[in-house]
Amino acid sequence: MFNKTKLQNGVHLYIRKTEQFKTVNVTIKWKAPLDQKKASERTVLANVMEDSTKQYPTLSSMRKALDELYGTVLFTDVSKRSSQHMVSLYTECVNDEFFAGEDIFKQLWQLIRSVVFDPNVTDKAFDPDVTEREKRNVRDRIRSIYDDKTRFAQKRMLEIMRPNHPASISAYGTETAVSEITSESLYATYEDMMNNDLIDIYVVGDIDENDIIEQIKQFLPFAARDAAKQNELLDVKVSGSVNTVREKQDMKQGKLHLGFHTPVSFHHPDYHKMQITNGVFGGFAHSKLFMNVREKESMAYYANSAFASHYGIVYVTAGIDADLEEKAVKLILEQLTALQNGESTEVELSQTVALLENSILSANDSARSQIEIFDQYKELDENFTAERLIEKWESVTLEDIKEMANTIQLEIVYLLSGKEDVSE
Amino acid sequence: MKEVNFDQLQEKIYTETLDNGLKVVILPKRGFSKTFVTFTTKYGSIDRTFKPHGKDELITVPDGIAHFLEHKMFEKEDGDVFQKFSLNGASANAYTTFGRTAYLFSATNKLKENTKILLDFVQQPYFTKQTVDKEKGIIAQEITMYDDQPDWRLYFGTIENLYENHPVKIDIAGTVVSIQDITAEHLYTCYETFYHPSNMLLFIVGAVKPEEMMAFVKKDQAKKSFDKPEVIERQFPSESNEVDVPARTLTMDVSKPKLNIGMKCTKVDLQGQEMLETELSANLVLDSLFGRTSAFYEKANAEGLVDESFSYEFSLEEGYGFAMVGSDTDEPERLEKLIRHTIKDAKLNWPVQEEDLDRMRRKKIGQFMRSLNSIEFIANQYTRYEFNDMNLFDVVPTLEKLSMDKLKEAFATFSDDNSYTIFKVMPPKQ
Repeated sequence: MFNKTKLQNGVHLYIRKTEQFKTVNVTIKWKAPLDQKKASERTVLANVMEDSTKQYPTLSSMRKALDELYGTVLFTDVSKRSSQHMVSLYTECVNDEFFAGEDIFKQLWQLIRSVVFDPNVTDKAFDPDVTEREKRNVRDRIRSIYDDKTRFAQKRMLEIMRPNHPASISAYGTETAVSEITSESLYATYEDMMNNDLIDIYVVGDIDENDIIEQIKQFLPFAARDAAKQNELLDVKVSGSVNTVREKQDMKQGKLHLGFHTPVSFHHPDYHKMQITNGVFGGFAHSKLFMNVREKESMAYYANSAFASHYGIVYVTAGIDADLEEKAVKLILEQLTALQNGESTEVELSQTVALLENSILSANDSARSQIEIFDQYKELDENFTAERLIEKWESVTLEDIKEMANTIQLEIVYLLSGKEDVSE
Repeated sequence: MKEVNFDQLQEKIYTETLDNGLKVVILPKRGFSKTFVTFTTKYGSIDRTFKPHGKDELITVPDGIAHFLEHKMFEKEDGDVFQKFSLNGASANAYTTFGRTAYLFSATNKLKENTKILLDFVQQPYFTKQTVDKEKGIIAQEITMYDDQPDWRLYFGTIENLYENHPVKIDIAGTVVSIQDITAEHLYTCYETFYHPSNMLLFIVGAVKPEEMMAFVKKDQAKKSFDKPEVIERQFPSESNEVDVPARTLTMDVSKPKLNIGMKCTKVDLQGQEMLETELSANLVLDSLFGRTSAFYEKANAEGLVDESFSYEFSLEEGYGFAMVGSDTDEPERLEKLIRHTIKDAKLNWPVQEEDLDRMRRKKIGQFMRSLNSIEFIANQYTRYEFNDMNLFDVVPTLEKLSMDKLKEAFATFSDDNSYTIFKVMPPKQ
């Protein structure tokens, strides 16, 4: 899979040589503890870095330089995993072999260098206009979740279920925290990120590994940093009672979200068993939820479950007619009860294993997913391969599913639905 | 079996048209784990008035029927097709557009078994009153879900404004009311008319051995019997170049107003190479007028008239076409003015210089090469191109020879003064 090179303390390079793609991918990830204020700063910072550098101070000059390099892609994004916040810089360019006489890749390194080490900063402050503009963009992005009722309902459910917990803290931060950012505070965040974050660099493509290592040393001279283990998530104490919350907006379809706790999370030895259990419950079109809530009762277009493994949460989402809430909740819980009673079949189990296998092997066909999946699983196993995970899935039994299902405990039923006075 | 090499792209495709008229295209991809297979019929939501197979009279069917049929193909007498795919580790799906219905799966093993399931389930219809009625609840929820999505309403509202008669203005899924009229007999009529192999294309891309796979498909098709192919007769109402409704506003519970400008394309009788040149040119024009490097974007972004939702697109098919530019914005009036001004100004002072054209050409070529990493992109786009008598692998050579005149010509097809419409989604007044 990936070959690892330690560049400095806390700075690692992962290279994968493959002839599969027409492009070369370079991704840099900065990882730091997750908190709301910092998340806001880092999100605005990621936007600002993507837009301009000292060499290319305007968005237009920056984008023109990328267009000249045969539409080279360069963008940033933020995300979270467990109690970690990540800023990622994604770049991708067409392999030089397709264009005789070009040196696109070399120029890409220069661009990355310019974005990372030479941002548009004067007197320890980012450009105030750019800062204000990107504050506005990030604030609008946070606010626009309101327009997507499924995402909004999920966000509300998590906020109520896990207040002030990484599970419900947005990787984008909050509108209030964004508004407090200044071009000076943004620079302080930049320095902090450059000096203290754990850094992982990924390169995937038809490249020469030794060349890459040399080029990175030359263009991306990150200094050593303290690679001490970052803070871990504390166990959540779950009360036995179920919280029922109904909220209203002007809308037609009811968004039903159920949150369940499980002590089995990503680092738990039974993690792979819970992946299978979730698949049998509601991960696929053969799963119990799809077959019973959608196909048998025609109540929903979608009725799925998902396993947020880093937070020990299983959740179910379904779009239903709000009048049918009670019936839908009953039907969903019946599917879980069936699993808890051991009412799953060998067919359901092998279908789930086959589709999970398919999805992890398919992920191999995109450089981005190769990077994302490895970046996650290397926390469990530095020598992670899809084959090892598949072996574990194949060893899961019906008894395991029963056992896993019995750790799943309903915490919240959340329904977002239309106001009664809505007239169409 | 025909082999065609695309040396510049380092790709090779294998094609054959079988005796029953089915076109099969195979593209092996070096180093890939999965194979992606699409089985597509040239039949979509706009095909609502047509002569049924073997009949002489035109009929008009209820709205949303192509999409309804897509749903119903998965249910058979012995159960749900998803179950069979799942057992073989294949992830299956389907989608319906204005002009196509595609059935697909992706799998990392058992390619032949899965291809067999795909061919069989699409070529063996099974509809009953009971299963058709049952589906109405599911599709009603799907329609209701889209009703709550402001971006979808914005997009569709704009198309509704643009067209007076053409069925492209009808929602692909129909309405909760229109789908109630759909019967099993309707589904059989549409199926028999549009699902003949001669109206379909099978595309196989990824970890596949072309000779072996072609032989497998050929053998499978030879065993099945089909009627003689007939030319499918569709009818579309006449449509003027003017927009139907110049402006409309919808109130929804959104965080910020949404504005979309639609421009109706006035040249919609193109196919083949001419269509390819026009759509690539129109895309380059929109890039230069509204892209991240344009004067428009610099101004709109600096003044806060647009945000990250800003987008533009050009869409062209036989019979209809449009350009759209839109964004969430706190100042829809000012943004509208700036977009209109940008178009108007381009007519007087052509803004694209030779160096811009070169740069954008490079960008598009790189983008295209990058998208060839995605086997989903290749299969879906190849089929769309083929149905319009174009070839996906002509994109790069065509881009290389596009001239400034061609860009001006393409711009003229959607910049007519009578071809604009505005659609807004506004939050309720407090």
